[in-house]
Amino acid sequence: MIFIPMWDGSLGCSSYLVGDSAGGKALVVDPLQNLGADSYILSAAEQGLEIVAVVETHVHADHHSAARELAEKLGIHVSLSHKAPAAFAFNPLHDGDVIDLGYVSAQLWETPGHTPDSISLLIADTTRSQEPWAVLTGDSLFVGDVGRPDLADPTVDAVKAAARDQFQSVQRLMNLEDTTEIYPAHYGASACGGLFLNHKPMSTIGFERKWNRFVQLTDPEEFTNQLLALLKPPPEGAAAIRSENLGQDA
Amino acid sequence: MTAQEFLQTVQNGQSVFLDLRAPHAYSQSHPAGAYNFPFHRQNWGGAVKQALQGQTPPIGIFVDNSVVAAAAQESLVAAGLTVAFAFDKGLKAWQAENLPVEQVKDLTVDELRQNLDQYVVIDVREPYELRSGIIPGAVAIPMGQLQNRLNELDKSKAYAIVCASGNRSASVSSFMSQQGFDVSNVVGGMSLWIGSRHPVERP
Repeated sequence: MIFIPMWDGSLGCSSYLVGDSAGGKALVVDPLQNLGADSYILSAAEQGLEIVAVVETHVHADHHSAARELAEKLGIHVSLSHKAPAAFAFNPLHDGDVIDLGYVSAQLWETPGHTPDSISLLIADTTRSQEPWAVLTGDSLFVGDVGRPDLADPTVDAVKAAARDQFQSVQRLMNLEDTTEIYPAHYGASACGGLFLNHKPMSTIGFERKWNRFVQLTDPEEFTNQLLALLKPPPEGAAAIRSENLGQDA
Repeated sequence: MTAQEFLQTVQNGQSVFLDLRAPHAYSQSHPAGAYNFPFHRQNWGGAVKQALQGQTPPIGIFVDNSVVAAAAQESLVAAGLTVAFAFDKGLKAWQAENLPVEQVKDLTVDELRQNLDQYVVIDVREPYELRSGIIPGAVAIPMGQLQNRLNELDKSKAYAIVCASGNRSASVSSFMSQQGFDVSNVVGGMSLWIGSRHPVERP
């Protein structure tokens, strides 16, 4: 498996190029405008990979996405959760869908909470094991933290409902083996996490099970209360960035 | 310059034609007369210049993506080379224009395992790499020696070429195919053969 994290430290954003070294097929997850669509095409070419899918783990509100530009240059549609309210044509993904890259595959879990359209991708390399080796958790589960529930819809009831969804999604991710690596969409100072978001860009399910304070809360009400109590101010221009990423004219 | 005109200059030995795609794509099928020189961002043009050993023929590039084509042209020009021809629409478009291609067959490790008796397997890895095990019955000929040892091979037999990952074997396969041998490239190489728990012999 070829697995290349592509980071933008200025906003604490992570994107990923994941491919099958044998068959040469790859997918890109959460491409960043700050890095530029071309950097993904050139990285893939350098690795001998052909990008066959561009996936967003959710419609972002904190940074500009390069997903549509990249997909256009490749002549394909962006893949998004079927729940994404995007204004452009996209390839809708559902829970359990598998993106098959040959010996490498990405299975999709819907993990709503941060946004209703949040998904996680379970990455397996079948030359090693059928078991997922890594999970790209988007803004569902972070290193030391979980994604904030207030950016898609900031009304009080919606935020509470989103926080309860986030609780369920985090608990679901905890069904994975301890050895599964976690690669989220953010780290460091990103505004999408809370106070405990670590500067380290990856972790494991086992480490988060032991040491992530939100994972350890077993009562959904307490989870919701703590999550809301620890919210940072929303990222600057969040609504405008989100509508641009949704393809709605600003 | 049209593709036909450029190919004529390649045939006459005046120009060099480079296929920038990955080895596995090249090995399946590529424009006739093109060498495989996969693109990378670390002074790729300089690497081409080095491979040309002091000569500066006009260069043609073939790839399936305009972003890579633009970066490659820039890199060649920066290295002081001349780009005479560029095709960035990939193999289907090339074939749609009735332009000539050369092909090599691909073989998965599972297919090879099932039909092992139908192939002569050539392992083109270096001697030190063979310690991880070789496919039972395989003949070891390091890539660098193959050109001089073609007389040991038989054009009536079917050859399966294997290396560590499938890259070197792709180059060897297309070379042997051009020499008129019946060859298949083992995709994924020994890492996939061993990873799939197929049997190996220890030399």
